[in-house]
Amino acid sequence: MRNRFAELHPAVLFLYFTAVILFSMFFMHPVFLAISLFCGFACSAALHLGKTLRFSFRFLLPMLLVMTAVNPLLNHRGATILLYVNDNPVTREALLYGFSSACMFSAVLLWFSCWNTVITSDKLVYLFGSVAPSLSLLFSMVLRFVPRFKAQIRTIENAQKGIGKGADQGSIFIRAKNGMNILSILTTWALENGITTADSMRARGYGLAGRTSFSIYAFNKRDKTALIVLIVMLFPVFYGAFTGENNIRYYPSLAVKPISFVSNLVYAAYFLLCAFPLLFNAAIEVKEHDSI
Amino acid sequence: MQQKSEQKRLKTALPAIFAALVFLAVILIGANGTGERKYFAVSLVLLVGSMLPFFIHFERRRTQARELVTLSVLCAIAVAGRAAFYMIPQFKPVAAIVIITGVCLGPQSGFLVGAVSLFVSNFFFGQGPNTPYQMFAFGLLGVLSGILYNRGLLKSSRASLCLFGGLSTLLLYGGIVNLGTLLLSGLPPTLSAYLMVCLTSLPFDLIHAASSVFFLFVLAKPMIQKMERMKTKYGLFSSEK
Repeated sequence: MRNRFAELHPAVLFLYFTAVILFSMFFMHPVFLAISLFCGFACSAALHLGKTLRFSFRFLLPMLLVMTAVNPLLNHRGATILLYVNDNPVTREALLYGFSSACMFSAVLLWFSCWNTVITSDKLVYLFGSVAPSLSLLFSMVLRFVPRFKAQIRTIENAQKGIGKGADQGSIFIRAKNGMNILSILTTWALENGITTADSMRARGYGLAGRTSFSIYAFNKRDKTALIVLIVMLFPVFYGAFTGENNIRYYPSLAVKPISFVSNLVYAAYFLLCAFPLLFNAAIEVKEHDSI
Repeated sequence: MQQKSEQKRLKTALPAIFAALVFLAVILIGANGTGERKYFAVSLVLLVGSMLPFFIHFERRRTQARELVTLSVLCAIAVAGRAAFYMIPQFKPVAAIVIITGVCLGPQSGFLVGAVSLFVSNFFFGQGPNTPYQMFAFGLLGVLSGILYNRGLLKSSRASLCLFGGLSTLLLYGGIVNLGTLLLSGLPPTLSAYLMVCLTSLPFDLIHAASSVFFLFVLAKPMIQKMERMKTKYGLFSSEK
């Protein structure tokens, strides 16, 4: 199945992930944590199911248990004492805080796994091309050079093998020496070749005024709708952040703002924001199914 | 003429204004932040605030094409090197190449090669919440080696580079990334918790430091020779130091 969300304009995607990841890092309110963790898991699973399941059970779940257990041993703040370990109090608040921060950390990692699939390097180069042209050129050149150097290493190795100096010929010390020699040849070649590239760039007018750049990304109607929906949902979440709806006090005792009608609205907005990739995919699916 | 000197004064004042804003943000968050996450917020502000000037300076300098390509070649060597040894965790030549860059091409370039090569290599290894801390730590390694070399405190001899490389990878890089882990994870920001995080990652930090020493031992001499040759042959980075 095509992931329609990932096909949105890079700027929309970048805004979305920056907002969601920052919110997940800072909102420690249980409702917000649960929403972010659940949606992060669902979005990651929608992108790559097997990888997400493996990651969650092999890494996140053990980490969740360890962090919940470790926090009360290191942190003795909190009013409700459960038991004593070596004369140090283990408090309920520290236990809950450990669990919450483990959930927060898991949610952030899951969102980053979505980021890694959706925000590819070409999108990032495109996004920063206008803000930081030199940096994004540097960045895209590095991306191009890495596979090129790997190919060149093979070429050099074949030539060295021809004269009996391959990285797999001779005793172990000679092999290591041959390997280093191949790397040395690569470095010299890469630096000299870079100068040729640079001269070619200059000859074609690099750095002259009035040059435009090509991009395959167009900001269409769908992107516009998605952007507006996102911004509309960001407002209540920010409103909640400023009025303390998504705040929680852990120490010395748990304290949250009482749940009101407004806080339900803020929760709903946050849920819609976090579930946006899934909802968007579903909406496009329905729309295209109808039109056929 | 008047306007020009005015502009120049503004230009010299900008870094100070920027630093003041960063300090203000840190103080405001540190003093008024309520939740347990304020330490993490402060660290994020400091990271962005300290890295942004380097990137802005690089953008404004209008780097010539030859220098730009040379920097990206160095980053690519670091990235490819990290990828080549991926099966041994933390065994990576990035720190060694960053330090050599700092020594040969100055602190500015050292920072850039450090921060950018980490950022790009994380496209192959996966970006995570740790990325800004790692970028900062490698950038700092490059800046520090450049400054210490310019001051004459760091020599381009093998022993001096290996000593600096091993210690700085273990203490600076490890210290910063572990601090990031501590603040990200939400463990209490106390010394004992920090020491615990450091202890758990000590094996990896030791492998990382050992790999830096190893690569500096093997690479330092030939790499420095090659880069010095590039500098004299093409007159690169003459304005840097």
